[in-house]
Amino acid sequence: MTASSASGNETNGHDQTGSWLSAAVSRRQFFVGAGGAAVLAGLSACGGSSPSTSTSPSATGSPKRGGNFRLGVTGGGAKDIFDGQNIITKPDQARLVSAFETLLTFDDEYQLTNDGLAEEVTADSPTQYTIKLREGIEFQNGKTMTADDVIYSLQRIGTEGNGLTGFAATASMDIKGLKKLDQYTVRLPLKTADSTIPQTLASYTFGIVPVDYEAYPSPQIGTGAYKLKSFTPGQESVSERNPNYWRSGEPYFDTVTITNFADSTAQVNALLGGQIDAMTDLPASQVQVVESRQLKSLISKTGGWVPLCMAIDMPPFDDNRVRQAMRLIVDREAMIQQIASGYGFLANDLYAPFDDGYNEDLPQRTQDIDQAKSLLKDAGMEGLTVDLNTTNGAAGMVSLATVFASQAKEAGVTVNVKNVPNYYGDDYLKLAFSVDFWGTRGYLNQVQQGSLASSPYNETHWPPKSGEGSNFESLYAQALAATDDSKRIELQHEMQKLEYEYGGYIIPFFGSLIDGYSPEVQGFSPSKGTLNLATFGHGYRTIWFG
Amino acid sequence: MRWLRQGGIAGFIIRRLMLGVLVLVLVSILVFAATQALGDPARAILGRDATPASLAALRAELNLDQSVLGQYFSWAGGLLQGDLGNSLAAQQPVTELLGSRLVNSSVLVLCAAVISIPLSIAIGSWAALRREKAFDTVSSSVMLVLAALPEFVVAVLLVMLFATTVLQVLPAISPVSPGQRPWQVPEVLVLPTATLVLAVAPYVARIMRASMVEVLESDYVEMARLKGLPERTVLIRHALPNAIGPVFQVIAINLAYLAGGVVVIEYVFNYSGIGSALQDAVVNQDLPVVQALAMLIAGVYVVLNLLADVATILVTPRLRTRL
Repeated sequence: MTASSASGNETNGHDQTGSWLSAAVSRRQFFVGAGGAAVLAGLSACGGSSPSTSTSPSATGSPKRGGNFRLGVTGGGAKDIFDGQNIITKPDQARLVSAFETLLTFDDEYQLTNDGLAEEVTADSPTQYTIKLREGIEFQNGKTMTADDVIYSLQRIGTEGNGLTGFAATASMDIKGLKKLDQYTVRLPLKTADSTIPQTLASYTFGIVPVDYEAYPSPQIGTGAYKLKSFTPGQESVSERNPNYWRSGEPYFDTVTITNFADSTAQVNALLGGQIDAMTDLPASQVQVVESRQLKSLISKTGGWVPLCMAIDMPPFDDNRVRQAMRLIVDREAMIQQIASGYGFLANDLYAPFDDGYNEDLPQRTQDIDQAKSLLKDAGMEGLTVDLNTTNGAAGMVSLATVFASQAKEAGVTVNVKNVPNYYGDDYLKLAFSVDFWGTRGYLNQVQQGSLASSPYNETHWPPKSGEGSNFESLYAQALAATDDSKRIELQHEMQKLEYEYGGYIIPFFGSLIDGYSPEVQGFSPSKGTLNLATFGHGYRTIWFG
Repeated sequence: MRWLRQGGIAGFIIRRLMLGVLVLVLVSILVFAATQALGDPARAILGRDATPASLAALRAELNLDQSVLGQYFSWAGGLLQGDLGNSLAAQQPVTELLGSRLVNSSVLVLCAAVISIPLSIAIGSWAALRREKAFDTVSSSVMLVLAALPEFVVAVLLVMLFATTVLQVLPAISPVSPGQRPWQVPEVLVLPTATLVLAVAPYVARIMRASMVEVLESDYVEMARLKGLPERTVLIRHALPNAIGPVFQVIAINLAYLAGGVVVIEYVFNYSGIGSALQDAVVNQDLPVVQALAMLIAGVYVVLNLLADVATILVTPRLRTRL
């Protein structure tokens, strides 16, 4: 997903108060991952295999049952909700995955797997998918999960008036045309070709809910490992083990208690004092402290990114030489150290690093002040002064702006950093130069969200209407319709080359999610996924007290 | 109105109460005006997700379709009837949202008051009696240091000392589960209360010492001593009542400050009180909650100041007899 992971990039040690996070998260609409459509064939091939009982028990010792797992989550507030298909705050994410599951899942390498509620998802044609459900899975109230529930679930997301985060991702689906073929088989017709459907179905806001389901305060009945017992928005939730859970042996805890924390100091203290067993978003500066006290940190390198966004149709960035100059001003390695305390990996102004179609052939951009100066001179923009808009949203958004401003001085460029409180108000997406944040996701999914004329969050106003890059949208449509992976990858490479040379993003690095936990807890392993604590211990199923 | 100007202590209280009501009315106008200054609150609240339908619905809920005066009166009228409206963020009545938080905050402030007031009066008086001796020097320096430390530093130091680094005898955070009351989990109150006591006591103790020093040098205390009254009687009957008058004012200001300003404590200890609710509401632009809390905190200020004034008058014969 986008917002959560980027917002969870506690890479610079800034603590992130929840409410800003909520504002930021609610702004973004849907969440889908990488992997690319290549996995499709694999999915069908694996169809029918039985689910693995534990996804990644890499830790020592065999799982034991029992105990109350206490998790402290950064952020949240009165806006907290409990919905199997929607989130506003980070604690909402932590709670959603305890009770609800998706048809497909992402593994820790962010590749699609058919370990979810569907046995297989097959593309019958570029515009039609068939979903075959795993048989005999029961909801927490004992009702068997059937095709009707899947149809209800997808239609609930696809109804605009419901205002769910996943709505934008259903644009290509013919929601009204969903058809029950038999008790456990659903046909999903598409309005337009879309090879990213499996990724969409694996994104965590596409939880499967029973027919007639409604959000809290209605009863929260999912197929997940834990059943909600009590919930107070802004404070805490308690969930009990689902005795009827379909994966044999799992889960292990008796109860899961999720508590909101407005401040990371309190979170770290609670972890040190033994009042919680795990926490999200450990500040990078606290990693050493926590480890020196025999506690553990879980550092997950994700594909989350915080870009500098140049609007390609607004001065001075309507001149590509200026855009190139800005990119050459950036000292990426220094930024990783200064903004992310070293917890991050180098980026090359491109997103979706885990996508099989990620273009690694393009040369790595490095700082070149002389070249930047000469480009600015050619463009008649020597001694340029620009405003850079940012906000205390996701971690790193402000420090990226200030670090860039100081680096730009070397090239004689004056950058005035403007920290705007109500950033996602009327001016958002209308700014010439701004900072934003995104999470891990597949390339084509990301393009749909941010790099098309129709995208809901297109900060850079890409692609151009004429000239280099104006064929971007047609390449995108071809890539979505491509049934051949090598063809799709080739098209993606071409698209990325256009963005690399003419686009409006400066992407210095990808961030990491850093979480902390007690050594009592076994089963955690780093994940490239979008949610903290390796998708919250895979929905609290694959972790236990040792 | 003549009876109001006389009427002894009762008349005084009634006059002050009327003044307090006036202050609250003025505050309510200010709070309301501040909400108006946001421009169209409905647009501010909904931000970029605003649709014409949702804007219209919210405007109706906030009574924005009425005239400004009408809006004020319908809000103030609701306030008087205890109807604080619905929280926009939580979609539930403000009273429900804030009820348990209010209890939590009150319990914390009450604990802090019950411990810090007698303690600081005792320390201040004792320091005045032992003026420039060891106890006075030590306590004065310690109080000065404590007064200079921000609360969160005190809180973090206490947590390190008693909960995480040095000893692990007390909880590092103070969760009060929904449905629980703080007194059901008294151990979580220890560190937040201690922090507040350390934050408040220095001010009160220092003013108590100064006031006591002055009184001990006065003619009537000398007279009492010369009369041969036991020192105990001199102190408790003659010196203390006269010295404590100015202290009540400082106590009132400090307690009022606690009522509105314990956000830091709530953050450090993850204690769910009204301070963090106010912060959350401001960020969410949750106007009904902000308005309710602003009025509540203003009310606490008015009431505490009134109590302090009454207490001062009751213990000060000169003021008492002038009424």
